[in-house]
Amino acid sequence: MEIFRRVANPWNQEVLIGISWDVMWAAAWAGLAFVVFHAVFVWGAGKKPEHAGADHGSAAGVPERVERHVVAARVFHWTMALAMFTLLITAFFPVLGIQFAWVTIHWMAGVLLILSVAYHIVHATLKQDFWSMWIEGRDVADVIRLLKGFLTRTDGRSRTGKYPADHKLYHHLIVVVAGFAIVTGLLMMVRVDTPFWTRNPYLLADSTWGVVYVLHGFSGVALITLVMAHVYFAIRPEKLWMTRSMIYGWVGREQFLEHHDPERWVVTGAAGVEPPSLSAGGVAESVPQDPDSAP
Amino acid sequence: MAVIRDMMPAFELFRPVSVDDALQLMARHGEAAWALAGGLDTFDWLKDRIKRPEAVIDLGAISEMRGITADRGGLTIGAMTTLTEVATSPEVVESFSLLSMAAFHVATPQIRNQGTIGGNVAQDTRCWYYRGGWPCYRAGGNICYAAAPKAMNREHCILGAKRCVAVNPSDTAPALIALDAQMVIRSAGGERVVAAEDFFMSPAVDITRMTVLEPDELLTEIRIPETWSRARFYFEKVRDRQSWDFSLVTVASAMRMSGGRVQDARIVVNGVAPRPVRVTEAESVLIGSPANESIGLAAGEAAIRRAKPLRHNDFKRPLMRNLIRRAIRGQEA
Amino acid sequence: MAEKTIGRDIAPPDLVAKVTGRAKYAEDFRAEGMVFAKLLASPMPHARVRSIDTSEALAMDGVFGVLTADEVPQPGAPNEPALTNEPLYEGEAILAVAAIDETTAADAIEKIRMDLEPLPFVLDPLDSLRPDGPNARLDGNTRIGREVQTIKWSEEDFAAAADGHMPVGQPGDEWSYGDVDAAFDAADLVLDETIVHQSLTHHPLESRSCMAYWQNGKLFIHGSTQSTARTRAAIARGLGLELHDVVLIAEYCGGGFGSKISGSTIMQVPALLSRKIGRPVMLRITRAEETYLGRARPGFQAKAKIGYRADGRVVAMELFIVQDNGPYGRSGDFRTAADMASLTYQVPAMRFGGVSVYTNTPPKSAQRAPGGGQITSMLEPIMDKAARELGIDRVALRHINVPDNDGVFGPRRRGLTSAYVREALDRGVELFGWEERAARSGQRHGSMVTGIGIGVSSFVGGSSGFDGLLMIREDGKLYVHQGIGNLGTHSIADTARAAADVLGMPWDRVEIVWGDTSRHLPWSAVQAGSQTTHAHTRANHAAAMDAKRKLQEIAAGDLGGSPGDYETGDGRVYRRNDRDTGMTFARAARRATQLGGKYSGEELPEDINAMTVTSAQALAGEGLMGVAKDTYPHEGSTFSFVVGFAEVEVDFETGHVVVKDYTAVTDCGTVLHPRSLAAQLYGGGVQGMGMARSQRWVFDPQWGVSFAKRLYTARPPGILDVPLEMKWAAVGIPDPQTPVGAKGIGEPPLGAGAAAITSAIADALGGRCLCRTPLTADMILAAVEGREQPYGPLETHV
Ligand SMILES: Cc1cc2nc3c(=O)[nH]c(=O)nc-3n(C[C@H](O)[C@H](O)[C@H](O)COP(=O)(O)OP(=O)(O)OC[C@H]3O[C@@H](n4cnc5c(N)ncnc54)[C@H](O)[C@@H]3O)c2cc1C
Ligand code: SF4
Repeated sequence: MEIFRRVANPWNQEVLIGISWDVMWAAAWAGLAFVVFHAVFVWGAGKKPEHAGADHGSAAGVPERVERHVVAARVFHWTMALAMFTLLITAFFPVLGIQFAWVTIHWMAGVLLILSVAYHIVHATLKQDFWSMWIEGRDVADVIRLLKGFLTRTDGRSRTGKYPADHKLYHHLIVVVAGFAIVTGLLMMVRVDTPFWTRNPYLLADSTWGVVYVLHGFSGVALITLVMAHVYFAIRPEKLWMTRSMIYGWVGREQFLEHHDPERWVVTGAAGVEPPSLSAGGVAESVPQDPDSAP
Repeated sequence: MAVIRDMMPAFELFRPVSVDDALQLMARHGEAAWALAGGLDTFDWLKDRIKRPEAVIDLGAISEMRGITADRGGLTIGAMTTLTEVATSPEVVESFSLLSMAAFHVATPQIRNQGTIGGNVAQDTRCWYYRGGWPCYRAGGNICYAAAPKAMNREHCILGAKRCVAVNPSDTAPALIALDAQMVIRSAGGERVVAAEDFFMSPAVDITRMTVLEPDELLTEIRIPETWSRARFYFEKVRDRQSWDFSLVTVASAMRMSGGRVQDARIVVNGVAPRPVRVTEAESVLIGSPANESIGLAAGEAAIRRAKPLRHNDFKRPLMRNLIRRAIRGQEA
Repeated sequence: MAEKTIGRDIAPPDLVAKVTGRAKYAEDFRAEGMVFAKLLASPMPHARVRSIDTSEALAMDGVFGVLTADEVPQPGAPNEPALTNEPLYEGEAILAVAAIDETTAADAIEKIRMDLEPLPFVLDPLDSLRPDGPNARLDGNTRIGREVQTIKWSEEDFAAAADGHMPVGQPGDEWSYGDVDAAFDAADLVLDETIVHQSLTHHPLESRSCMAYWQNGKLFIHGSTQSTARTRAAIARGLGLELHDVVLIAEYCGGGFGSKISGSTIMQVPALLSRKIGRPVMLRITRAEETYLGRARPGFQAKAKIGYRADGRVVAMELFIVQDNGPYGRSGDFRTAADMASLTYQVPAMRFGGVSVYTNTPPKSAQRAPGGGQITSMLEPIMDKAARELGIDRVALRHINVPDNDGVFGPRRRGLTSAYVREALDRGVELFGWEERAARSGQRHGSMVTGIGIGVSSFVGGSSGFDGLLMIREDGKLYVHQGIGNLGTHSIADTARAAADVLGMPWDRVEIVWGDTSRHLPWSAVQAGSQTTHAHTRANHAAAMDAKRKLQEIAAGDLGGSPGDYETGDGRVYRRNDRDTGMTFARAARRATQLGGKYSGEELPEDINAMTVTSAQALAGEGLMGVAKDTYPHEGSTFSFVVGFAEVEVDFETGHVVVKDYTAVTDCGTVLHPRSLAAQLYGGGVQGMGMARSQRWVFDPQWGVSFAKRLYTARPPGILDVPLEMKWAAVGIPDPQTPVGAKGIGEPPLGAGAAAITSAIADALGGRCLCRTPLTADMILAAVEGREQPYGPLETHV
């Protein structure tokens, strides 16, 4: 398998121009393999995992609906998802031979992604509990338990804070990978004409551009794998409650108690919880409205 | 590894005698196949060792791809018909003189004797960065050398730039679009017919190709419908030399008049964009109006409104405007 | 007595072979065991070879060997080697591979690994003069005297460049005469213009292909060269061989325009490769390679400040030229340009400054009217502008300035042999119909605007002091041995006419011996600088006079009387007052062989060149020999002149220019061969038109790599770009300082053609001088439309 794409520049010096599309396939296969492996493994385990130490003891004070994602956060998430899918489609479909005018859509989706991320950073820092995404000591223990549980086919999961450790990890991975994609993508914007500037391919040296393209490529294909995994988990039956919460904003008391440790995620009263709404836009309509219809 | 140009490497040469055989060969060799018509574009690529097909399929022995036949008021022109034949054919001269004028303006008599109409519309761009073997977007790389701030891009485009700023060099293409020609495309899998207007590829869609032809497809013939037979035509090509030279800007137009007003018109310009462009902006100014200087100027202005020059080709804006203007009012002011 | 050949149209003897394709040019030769070579060219404009690995190439079947820069002579800086490890321009040859065929050789080159270290490069000479600008060579950016040195100007010097004016700083060369400042002060009009003349390739139709092999230590070389005797000498010198160890065969040459004066550098490659591998080697040069190593005209960026009196007389001139020298040697164009300006306008007070700057562009050399072509095409529209501002006729302005026989030129104020420019102007005014046409200037019909142009071009027209060598053999024919080349003009035949006419020999009994140094040729001028007509009508005249004296002596000895009683004609030497008493040349030749001594070449004059001596010794005893050095008086400098007139139509809607008419009138002394003269006037004129209008080359500024390497992108003019009908005339007054009266005419036509066009275009634009070449449609349209010019005012290589 080729990893890099290299060409001879006009001076016949070999320069990197990006990653080989083999890597894209590898990433897609890796994503698929992970999904299949996980699905088969979990299916093979044969039982619906029970949470270790599920303890309904400290349920007092937990409202019927616990708000998990405020409107703003949900809008952000779905905007970002839209941008991300657009970016991936415009980046990789042409490689697959599906030809269309992708460049402008790609960079515009990139701009949308950047705007949404910028918004998210501001919002998360100022308005949200910034630290809820922070990886704590307990998270490490959670992850170890999780992995052990998975491998031994027991339920390794513990009740967690607002965000389970694996979610936090995923989030941070996305931060890093998308971060690279964004920064390199921004640099690459210098090479397309926009209403604001005329392109200049010579802003950086050949070799530097090579690195930029390679990083963009790697982060791009990594996103394929990451997005595949994310979508897979989002539609796994036992995770749908969480997916739904990204649509409606809240989780039911039952689910809350089942998955979360009220001590690690302290919820007070029912304040701020909205009734089911269509605020997440069209997506909401296609999802069952009844929060209890979870499998 | 060192680079050397201007010395053709060895390759396998096939000389099928039927379209079917040619298509079989194209299918068998896929991306590694290269259809050879007159060779005037092909041989540069081969000699410079930039494109390296394994199998060159010479269409020269396929008689069914040659010749011009009258067809219900229109014409069917085999893709392997030479440009000289197109330029001088009485059928073409009589009813579709626009096309004969266009063919006549290609390069030199020698090149017209050798070059084919199919090759002429399928030919690659003449951007010298790309032709120099530079790894630009069109060559599968990630840069356009011609659009760099100090690049030499006098001959490049002012419209429709999508990363690539090269222009389509064909003189017959704008005439075929103006005549609403239909391109008959065949592959081992079957036949499709594409309007000339849709035959040319925008770099936004596929930056490495000039036409919609897939690697296993051949353009077998070009059908010209009766629609524009004996219409009012105008063709003009501005170039640095009066022979052996590609155009700076070319205009081809067909007009139908009625009661002193333009009833219908198609105006096509080449040399200004990566594909020949039909200037609907100009057409809409024109239709319903008299074909005079002031309408010509207005139509020309409308046509260049969206034009965006590169560093050295601003002149193509007034040039394109004036050629459209002339197409409408006629050469003399 | 045979009709004089001079002044008649006689087809040259090589014509049929050329038009039927029987003529063999360098690449048509084959030799037993011959293999082909291909060059590996530098992809970078300036680099150093770090390493080369040819092992894979050498391991290929059919590959015979590689020649690297270490195996060819490396002349001292700043001179050009045939192969280099420090390429100074993109396309420069680094090594050569020999293989059974060219495909294999090219495949082998693709297997060579080469590591190059890029070095700083510069394309625009002004960039190199900037305080922190790069140098094209590691040892400096210009040559002053014998030394490579560096000149940098200050930021203040460049202040003028900011608004598009030519900056002026420290020159490398300068001279002046007269009180220039006072003359400017007294002038009624002073024009100060910035001009940019392009650098462009020669593009001879035949590229400099070459085949070489060795036999018994002797090098046999089939090349394409303008000269013969002198090229052989250059080959011998370059390779460190004895002259008699080099046999050069170069009977035909598909043009050189100065680029193949010797053209011997690249010939070293097949020669040395052949010696190395022990097989004949053919090196065919491709069109692109010809663009790289085939030489180019140096470009100019210049300031021309000219002071005029109210009647149009030029009273002062200041010329400052920055010259694009390419990477090697030193081109004299800029100095010649100043001389020609001084000459053409008989400038009474003039200051010249200039610097020839090394650039990483292909090497420069003389190109048809080197220096003259550039300056003439640039100054003539400025002269027009002055005429416009002073309200005088443009021809009148030339009339008052051009030289006559008393003309002087240059810093040393040297005199001329003859100058009949006024006569040429008058003739041209009549032939072209100046009055009537000038009245049409600026008229518009439709989108077309008429422009009328005039160009007065001066250029050197002859040298002297070379040898003539001829034989009258026992077959009664006259064999004129010519050491000059056959570069496509007719000079091998036409200069032999001097000998034929001296002896009164019918032309059909004259044989020209040329193009093969084993055929015993005399020492000759290089076939360049428009020298040949002048130098070799003289040399052949001298040799024929020698033969004639010998014929007369032999006749007098055998038939009585004194030699002075005898005349020659129709292949006989006979008594002037008794035509029947005489003998045929055949008999005289036999007698000469019998007599020996000086008659048959056993005794030779003292003053002839060593090469002529060797040739004469080889021919000795084979008949009657005429051999002499040209010692005719030659006091002044010899110049020829052409006045070109053009009518153009500029399409104000497209910028396209149609040349409607072109008329050229020359003063080149006696007309040797009218049809051949017309070919020079038209051909040179058309080449000049191409230089002024369409021909060009282009570099990418970022990479220093050139485009327009092929004829279709380089755009020399085609037949449809020139007027169908052109007219010419010659003043025809013999030059008094040369026996035949003929001056050279190869070069001056170019400047006339170019200037007539630049002048006519400026005229159509209402007197606006864009003051650059090439003047392409884009620039003209921008000017007409009042848009910004596509290139900066000082920008080069556009
Ligand atoms: C010096 C020069 C100047 C020129 N000037 C002009 C000019 O002024 N105006 C102008 O319009 N053209 C000009 N040309 C272009 C020339 O006319 C075209 O290159 C030529 O017509 C191409 O046709 P060809 O028959 O030689 O095709 P080729 O060179 O053999 O083929 C061209 C391309 O088309 C493909 N192709 C050919 N036929 C078919 C087919 N039937 N189906 C599918 N693919 C096909 C080939 O695979 C190849 O990619 C010039 C060319 C040269 C060399
Ligand atoms: S204009 Fe197109 S073909 Fe030319 S360098 Fe740019 S991308 Fe390549």
